[in-house]
Amino acid sequence: MNRFLALLQREFWENKGALRTTPIVIGGIYVIGALMAVFTTAHIDNELYTFKEAVRLAAQQSVDLRADVLYQMLLGSSVFFTIVLWFVVFFYLLGALYDDRKDRSILFWKSLPTSDTLTIASKLMTAMVIAPAAFLAVLILTHIVIALIGSVMILSVDHNPWTLFLSISQPFKAWGMIGLTYFAGAIWALPVFGWLLLVSSFAPRVPLLFAVLPPLVLSGLQIWIGFLRTFTFDDNLWGIIARWFIHSPSILTAQVEDGDPRGGVALGVPLDDKYDYSVTAANVFDRLFSLEMLVGLILAAIFLAGALWFRHRATDN
Amino acid sequence: MNEMLETMDPIISARGLTKKYGRTVAVDNIDLDVPVGRIIGLIGPNGAGKTTALKAILGLATFDGELSVLGLDPSRQRSKLMEDVCFIADVAVLPRWIRVWQLIDLTEQIHPRFNRDRCMEYLAKTKIGQDKKVKHLSKGMVAQLHLALVMSIDARLLVLDEPTLGLDILYRKAFYTNLLNDYFDEERTILITTHQVEEIEHILTDLVFIQDGKIALDCSMEDVETRYCELMVTPEKADQARTLGPLTERQMFGRHIFLFEGKDKASLSELGEVRTPSVADLFVATMEGGAT
Repeated sequence: MNRFLALLQREFWENKGALRTTPIVIGGIYVIGALMAVFTTAHIDNELYTFKEAVRLAAQQSVDLRADVLYQMLLGSSVFFTIVLWFVVFFYLLGALYDDRKDRSILFWKSLPTSDTLTIASKLMTAMVIAPAAFLAVLILTHIVIALIGSVMILSVDHNPWTLFLSISQPFKAWGMIGLTYFAGAIWALPVFGWLLLVSSFAPRVPLLFAVLPPLVLSGLQIWIGFLRTFTFDDNLWGIIARWFIHSPSILTAQVEDGDPRGGVALGVPLDDKYDYSVTAANVFDRLFSLEMLVGLILAAIFLAGALWFRHRATDN
Repeated sequence: MNEMLETMDPIISARGLTKKYGRTVAVDNIDLDVPVGRIIGLIGPNGAGKTTALKAILGLATFDGELSVLGLDPSRQRSKLMEDVCFIADVAVLPRWIRVWQLIDLTEQIHPRFNRDRCMEYLAKTKIGQDKKVKHLSKGMVAQLHLALVMSIDARLLVLDEPTLGLDILYRKAFYTNLLNDYFDEERTILITTHQVEEIEHILTDLVFIQDGKIALDCSMEDVETRYCELMVTPEKADQARTLGPLTERQMFGRHIFLFEGKDKASLSELGEVRTPSVADLFVATMEGGAT
């Protein structure tokens, strides 16, 4: 256990830029954006007249509506974090079993009494837990700072931020839901994580090409052959990956359907009817206990076994 | 070898050790026993299979044949094996992004036999700052750091593969002095490969020459002294020396130097000056196909 924690520590140290600095920069962009909005308002809004009106109107809305809008805002503000998180994890995993082979430090790491299984587990754990947890922590901090800025603004026009929004927002529910979708999203993404680790474990150079080219070429061939045979674009690898992506239990898009009372943010991309896309825990678990997920887990197991096989044989050349 | 050592199990034991890369045979059917408490020099030309053999011993490569290190199978039990084996590949393998204190923390958490106080003592004798990143240290400092880490681990087998590659003479000397004075004892075994044979020859207890994946010579330094001798004669006596069947002959400053195996030194000394050959000379002779 101690060794495993030490390996996680190593991943954090080695990838501080990706795991710590990146979310802080995004949070910083949010906070700077909020401050710029404040100064712009203060500058062009004569004696904050428009702002006062807006706050007065908002205060007249029902508690339910305000609570719902606030909740959607909290969830919606996570989307940028989520998308960057996916990029960070993508490139982290591509380098996870490649960088130390390239700079030969694998010879040092393999001189420590840790098994290859434990090493790969620490990389997977970093992608699935440490990275999302770091992004979530900074997101929470960003929410708090922006709530403070908003409160000061509202105080400055003699309204009570507590009754207006603080007391009725449900930050813990929102953070819990975002956290749930982060970890569920990581489980959902396991086949891709496994694939990236596999590529990372054997690619002689440019792991990005090895990760992206084979599925692209395979999909291209499938589409071409399928078109020659039936003149339609039936199922192919690309379609499967795209569907896998739109079904993701992660908050990625807004659901814009006319007359849909649910509205607001959505899980994945609501393009088909396979799942319910509104953001609820039940819908998240619906995906985790699906046939799609089971197939994904089997694929992930195969890829990870491959990664372990290569890692066992990997040295500095 | 003395009796006590012979009764102990060898720390490394290989039977028919073979490693092929495609059609190339890097290590060809090697039998080797390394007893405890020795410093073995594994010496061979580039591409002879030294590093490949070391990698097999360290569990870094798969192989054919039988190999047991500390009673373990390296290819299956590397993690367990590394609790008792330390390894310095060459100066460039410490991760470049890591800070010195992080490296020490990690090693302490992962290695059951690591002694932090000892490591700090060694480091205090250097100019290495705790907060420095490895990539900002000089080559010599990285080697010092790695050696400090390794000497603070109570391991039974230390494997050094070209540990002083690219270091200047001062660092190289200090490296081996530290190793010998502060680290080596009867319970530890050190296996070294290097090109700079002259620098390690005085610390070795055993020699293993590898050529084309095969062992060309495997004997202790005491055996080298009794088995081999070098005779330096003037040109007039060269013919007489040649009749005695030397392994090799070379000329230097107008004198002829012959390498003999298993000859009586006293009788040879009647022809000229007799001395024990250097490892380097013995190596050259072996590689040229003379000695066995």
